Amino acid sequence: MKYEIVHRTEYRYDADVSANYSEVHLIPRTLDGQVCRAHALVIDPVPEDHRERTDFFGNPVAYFSIQKPHRQLSVTATSTVEVTGRGATLDLLSSEPWDAVRSRLQAGAGAPDPEAITARQFILDSPLVARDELADAYARPSFPPGRPLVDAVMDLSSRIHRDFEYKPGATDIATKLPDVLEAREGVCQDFAHLAIGCVRAVGLPARYVSGYLETEPPPGEEKILGADASHAWFSVFVPGVGWLDLDPTNDQVPNDQYVTAAWGRDYADVTPMKGVVFSSSKHPELHVAVDVLRLPA
Amino acid sequence: MTLTAVPDDEIFSAYPAPADRYDEMVGSDGSVREHWAYLTRALAQLGPIELENRRRETARLLRDDGVTYNTYDDGISRASDWVLDPIPLLLSSEEWATIEHGVLQRAELLNLVLTDLYGPRELIRKGVLPLEIVYGHRGFLRQCDQISIPGSIQLFSYACELARDTTGQFWALGDFAQAPSGAGYALENRRVMSRVFPSLYRDSQVHRLAPFFRTMRAALHEVAPTGVDDPRVVVLTPGPLNETYFEHAYLSSYLGHTLVEGADLVVRDGRVYLRALAGLEPVHVIVRRVDGWYCDPLELKPDSQLGVPGLVEAARRGTVTVVNTFGASVLENAALLPFLQKVAQHLLGQGLEIPSATTWWCGNEQERSHVLAHLTDLVIKPIARKTGTHSIYGWQLSDAEQTELVARIEAKPHAFVAQERLEFSSVPCLRGAGRGGLELQARPVVLRSFAVARNDSYTAMPGGLARVAATSHGHILSAQGGGISKDIWVVASEPEKQTGFWLLQGPGIEAVDPAGAMSARAAENLFWLGRYAERAESTIRLLRCILDRRTDFHGSSNTAGTECLNGLLGALTKMTATYPGFIGVGAEPRLADPEPELFAIIGDTSRGGSLASSLRSLLASAQAVRDQLSADTWLVVSEIERELGALDRNAPDPQAAMQTVLAGLIRSLLALAGLAHESMVRDPGWQFMDAGRRLERALLLTDLLRTTVVSVRGDAAESLMLESILIASESIITYRRRYRSQAQVETVLDLLLIDEENPRSLMAQLERLNTEIAAFPRRTKNQRTAEERLALEAYTMLRIADTASLAAPSMSDATRRLALDDLLASMSTLLSHTADAIDATNFTHLEPRRMFVAGQTDDLGRTLSGVMP
Repeated sequence: MKYEIVHRTEYRYDADVSANYSEVHLIPRTLDGQVCRAHALVIDPVPEDHRERTDFFGNPVAYFSIQKPHRQLSVTATSTVEVTGRGATLDLLSSEPWDAVRSRLQAGAGAPDPEAITARQFILDSPLVARDELADAYARPSFPPGRPLVDAVMDLSSRIHRDFEYKPGATDIATKLPDVLEAREGVCQDFAHLAIGCVRAVGLPARYVSGYLETEPPPGEEKILGADASHAWFSVFVPGVGWLDLDPTNDQVPNDQYVTAAWGRDYADVTPMKGVVFSSSKHPELHVAVDVLRLPA
Repeated sequence: MTLTAVPDDEIFSAYPAPADRYDEMVGSDGSVREHWAYLTRALAQLGPIELENRRRETARLLRDDGVTYNTYDDGISRASDWVLDPIPLLLSSEEWATIEHGVLQRAELLNLVLTDLYGPRELIRKGVLPLEIVYGHRGFLRQCDQISIPGSIQLFSYACELARDTTGQFWALGDFAQAPSGAGYALENRRVMSRVFPSLYRDSQVHRLAPFFRTMRAALHEVAPTGVDDPRVVVLTPGPLNETYFEHAYLSSYLGHTLVEGADLVVRDGRVYLRALAGLEPVHVIVRRVDGWYCDPLELKPDSQLGVPGLVEAARRGTVTVVNTFGASVLENAALLPFLQKVAQHLLGQGLEIPSATTWWCGNEQERSHVLAHLTDLVIKPIARKTGTHSIYGWQLSDAEQTELVARIEAKPHAFVAQERLEFSSVPCLRGAGRGGLELQARPVVLRSFAVARNDSYTAMPGGLARVAATSHGHILSAQGGGISKDIWVVASEPEKQTGFWLLQGPGIEAVDPAGAMSARAAENLFWLGRYAERAESTIRLLRCILDRRTDFHGSSNTAGTECLNGLLGALTKMTATYPGFIGVGAEPRLADPEPELFAIIGDTSRGGSLASSLRSLLASAQAVRDQLSADTWLVVSEIERELGALDRNAPDPQAAMQTVLAGLIRSLLALAGLAHESMVRDPGWQFMDAGRRLERALLLTDLLRTTVVSVRGDAAESLMLESILIASESIITYRRRYRSQAQVETVLDLLLIDEENPRSLMAQLERLNTEIAAFPRRTKNQRTAEERLALEAYTMLRIADTASLAAPSMSDATRRLALDDLLASMSTLLSHTADAIDATNFTHLEPRRMFVAGQTDDLGRTLSGVMP
């Protein structure tokens, strides 16, 4: 599948911004089954300084700064991405029990396997997902002793889909796991964080994936431009196979309609756009529009 | 080792060297170790009375230098006096050689570890270090991965905490790599010791510290980005409230670097600039005393107000060198200790010369079982040091506390270590005994050693900072907890050539443009320092005049006296802006009994405009530019602090109590003015301070005249009032000498307004103000600045004024001098505008800084939020 993704972010401030320093994760990474063929970042006003690099987790990231007064900022990221065979590895997945995997990953167990060592960083607490007893309790039913890891995490993902209501506006960036567990509602980011907290609670590595999902219009209707959204899900390390993505918001294994932008320990590592501005403006207006357009092969 | 007998005197012979510890001074057979022999003999010869004098002198010198260590209590920062015990800790050349080798080896090793952890991470990949002790440590900054500084060494400065066990063997207790503190305190300790014991210090053949700091200075220049020949080095401090702010200011002025706060720096086009007086000036090297995580709100801690947005990006591009590197605090890691021996073998092919204190990491299952089984014998620590957290001594825990601790360890085992309990060596400390006597007490001690990198290798400071417990069996506390320090003397086997800091080779020293080296913030603080000093001084003069008049007329029926006194009280309210005070409706009861209000105007810090609050602001401004002021300034500043604290509302004679405090304060303020005049270079900083002083004096004199002389009074009252104004304006003697008559409005105005020979006149202030402003560094040539035009206008207006017509009562209203009122009102407005213009043209005006985050867009509610202060 080939897509053109247009992700447009616009800030309108009610006072002059004299300087702006921003960092954006808006360029999809290339990985097994996904190639980013082209990308362009158009920033208005044109920044005095703009650089792209790769972050700690291997994600493309851009830094820019604007030094002239402005009241409006727009950032448009356009990428062409090819996705093939996502989710196809599912048949090859191991049937190793989750508790065996956990023992295998533990520090000092056997010969060091670099990939497994690196994966262990995703067991530790991260800025937005800290070890939590409620998450631990919620996770347990999915992880009886001896159950294959893949079954266990798929069950977890389905349970989150079943038990939690998708409700935009119910939570915000500062919402922590206990609040989500309490309210039983949230958005994709909360569900991904919850799943990550649960997997880590049983001692296994899980990471946060941010990206895009192609939406299809209801039968017989035209697709509305700007109606797509950026999305988030989670991923679990399966030794010998790699990372298995799961989307608890839609209760499915991401297929070729999913495009990965970036991954990290949680949302804080891969925030699509953040910035420090010097301004007396307190409440800027923010508009975000995303289009995931299928291109002819 | 040769040992000598303990001196036969009442102090040393009574020294209770502990049997269960290694004592630094006394051997196990009770005799004095050879390298202590000279010192103990010399101190014994001084005798107890002289020793006590020297002890007091030590404390006095530290206080006069304003040496403080800020402590936090309920989030409020308080300055505590730095405590130095006057008996140094002596180390023989052999002992020093052991420490030096051990510390240098450790620095080299940790440098390799740091280089690896922010580079290839082979140590983790190969399983030499468990991933968790690095990735689970808050000092590991992923954003700073692959950032390196020029040269082969990544760990620029390093400190190590050492202690000896009962056999005399040295152990490393911990490592400091974030922004190692203490070297400046060690330097100050040495300065004080060399003044308290000049001959003893000279004759003891002590290794000097200056060469170490010279090396540091040279190293800072050499570590600048490639291609920069004459780098600008700045010291980045969190500000005057930081616990070791004294050291930041002390070292930056000692080394000749500019002391800056985050807001003084700005990143443009990936480069760092100083917001200097003369405009933006490039910065090449930053000595970081702000914790790494706080250095950049964009990439690191989002709500940090101490950092500079874009700083990490600039360091990443290598346009600026930041030392120590942002992520270096990952080395301040107790969980590294159990692995260092193995890492040393792996990286250096040799064992550690000074072993780490035996430490178990709870992230390893076997070690954790050992720790849990022996909890009550061990010292338990989190792997990352953090303000407010401290070591837990297992043997002090109750059963319930033990259970709670076990639960905490089991929930997050990789975040804890346990260390073997060491009985530290002891040193003699002087302590006041009963009936004014002195005694020596043996107290546990730890040593902090410092190293700095230059030319691919490290140099250690021959000496360091010793910290002792507050009691003979206490734990060593940080200064935060009320610890005591000692100077460390490395006693040379042969005399050393003496050198000062600026002597011998080092980087070529070139004159720097002072306007380029001074931050706009420093200039602003100096401007306000001048204004507050003058405000305090003028307020005191008026207060003293009021108190004298009160003594003259209190309770008397002299109506002229009462009118004059009330007029002066009104002027006081106006000058200090402490409304309603003695002005307007409701002032009656306060005029009838002014004492409570006067006390408040003098001593109530919470009252804006009060003398106490002006003095507080003065002290805060001085603190903020510590590095710009001469050391003697602190002598005066500490005096002001003391006098301010001495005001007693409940004194039997309140009038006298106020007079005493005011007399003391004016002495100190005059000393401060004298210092500014005699000891400060006439650089832009001085010009701003003097402009502040002139502007404030002009404003206050205008206020004073306007509230007292505009009204036409009866002869007796007018004459009293004019005399009082002359007294408050320090011009009475000149007036009497010149006019030999009762005070007349016209002649008083001559002297106070237009006489340029009178240093207290308005004309004299305006002349000076114009001179200072003309000398301000300017960004645009050949064009008058707004403040220049305004000050010139004020000056010209006064030049053409005619005192005879100003002194005459108005035609339209014989009770007032309206022409005078008009002139003073315009003057007041012009001067305020001048002050605003100075501020707008020269100082930094930052808009509030905010962080905006756009979230996942499946939730618009979320994308709109995320505004952080």
